[in-house]
Amino acid sequence: MNEMTDGHTVTSYNDELDQLNRYVMDMARLVRRQIADSIRTLEEEDVEGAKEVVVRDQEVDAIELKADDHIVHIIAKRQPVARDLREIMAAGKIISDLERIGDQARRIARLTLYFYEKDNSAPNYRLLSDIPKLAHLVDGMLELAISAFDRLDTGSALDVIRKEAELAEEMVAAQRRLSTYLMEDSRSIGHVVDITLGLRALERIGGHAKYVARHTIYLIKGKDVRHEPLERVIADVGH
Amino acid sequence: MHTTIQYMAAENTLAPAVSGDGGQALAEDSRDFAGTVGDVTVANPAMTARNVNVWYGEQQAIIDTSLDIGKSQVISMIGPSGCGKSTFIRCLNRMNDTIDSCRVTGDIRLEGQNIYDKKLDVVPLRAQVGMVFQKPNPFPKSIYDNVAYGPRIHGLAEDKQGVDEIVETSLSKAGLWDEVKDRLGEPGTGLSGGQQQRLCIARTIAVSPEVILMDEPCSALDPIATATIEELIDELRQHYAIAIVTHSMQQAARVSQRTAYFHLGRLIEVGATDDIFTNPGHRLTEDYITGRFG
Repeated sequence: MNEMTDGHTVTSYNDELDQLNRYVMDMARLVRRQIADSIRTLEEEDVEGAKEVVVRDQEVDAIELKADDHIVHIIAKRQPVARDLREIMAAGKIISDLERIGDQARRIARLTLYFYEKDNSAPNYRLLSDIPKLAHLVDGMLELAISAFDRLDTGSALDVIRKEAELAEEMVAAQRRLSTYLMEDSRSIGHVVDITLGLRALERIGGHAKYVARHTIYLIKGKDVRHEPLERVIADVGH
Repeated sequence: MHTTIQYMAAENTLAPAVSGDGGQALAEDSRDFAGTVGDVTVANPAMTARNVNVWYGEQQAIIDTSLDIGKSQVISMIGPSGCGKSTFIRCLNRMNDTIDSCRVTGDIRLEGQNIYDKKLDVVPLRAQVGMVFQKPNPFPKSIYDNVAYGPRIHGLAEDKQGVDEIVETSLSKAGLWDEVKDRLGEPGTGLSGGQQQRLCIARTIAVSPEVILMDEPCSALDPIATATIEELIDELRQHYAIAIVTHSMQQAARVSQRTAYFHLGRLIEVGATDDIFTNPGHRLTEDYITGRFG
């Protein structure tokens, strides 16, 4: 229970909002595990582990369905307003972002299957070197964004948005390195394309983490900053 | 009658208005009543109230409240029981004059005219600022006479045909004409609760008011009748300024363009209904509308 969810005269309303928070936190834990496992399977060439990641994405989808159903019932029963409404709207959007993050983790796990299942051709390990690095960066963004949501911390949410520039720079550098490898050995083009898709998946995870942070700012401040540049967001939230 | 009328000298002075800041800093202190959050004025007011104070005997019910009632819009007054919202709207057509122990100070104007002017006749005032009450209260007369009564005593029609026209127009505006046109001679008290309330609204608009005050007009009605009244309120606001007191947050959110939150006799916050119900500027408003009020 946090400052946002407690204090209602009808205590069962507090419980319902707490349950919604638990769905978000459970889903966040699960998709972070999916990201970590998908990267590990790629590094360890673990085909069976990758298959487990793909199957486990259904668990992420199942939490999304439960959370959405829970939201529908809260709206129908409570007709939430003000911070309760913002809590529910933000949680609903964060849940959608987390589900998409789960999809991206599954995509990365599928790379393991493309590269290492049966007689498939494995890429040069140097081509994969940027994936763990970027994964570490975007997982850090996601961890910080979820922490901001859980602690209602605008400062942490802003830090997530600030990291987007770093992510963009890392993406450009990684693509430049892949281009260099491609010039050295044009036969690696198939692998380069697949790995680029893997990098894109990580970039999207970073993008979703950024939206989790922006939804959190909406929840705390009541200001929709989804499409505002960082400077404007900072001005809006007074940091 | 002990109603005191205090004349404001020159320019009205507002209680210090604190602009809403989009929720970035809710007024935290629940006892911080220094000023009303939000803009108490509107561009096109039908009524203006400035620095209004109301006492019932020694008990002060309204404290230094300023608020405009805008033309062609609905303003909802919300707040816990005893907060002063009904007392405030009853000041707007001097209904409080009927309470001996009630004393009102401040400045309340209808179209620039001080309604507490000693020379002002309250009978035409109450036609210009009509009121609909919690329980429908049709006169023990026919449906026709309920509506015709006001225009007759105010001399709004020259002959029976003129009264007939007002009755039909008023009942049509109140969305009741089709339901009662074939039984205008039957008693108004024989109608259903929702129809009786619409009859009372027809009776109010028959005397061509500027402002309609509604004190919990749907609290005695079922959801269908309530929906009909809310639809009617939305249509009526094209022609009248409407102030409605309601205990239903959803009703306030549905029917009004502005919302005013009262607490312990003070106007805590006023603003666009869309803002009040998504991002209120004062902690007390938020606690009340989200059901956190202890």
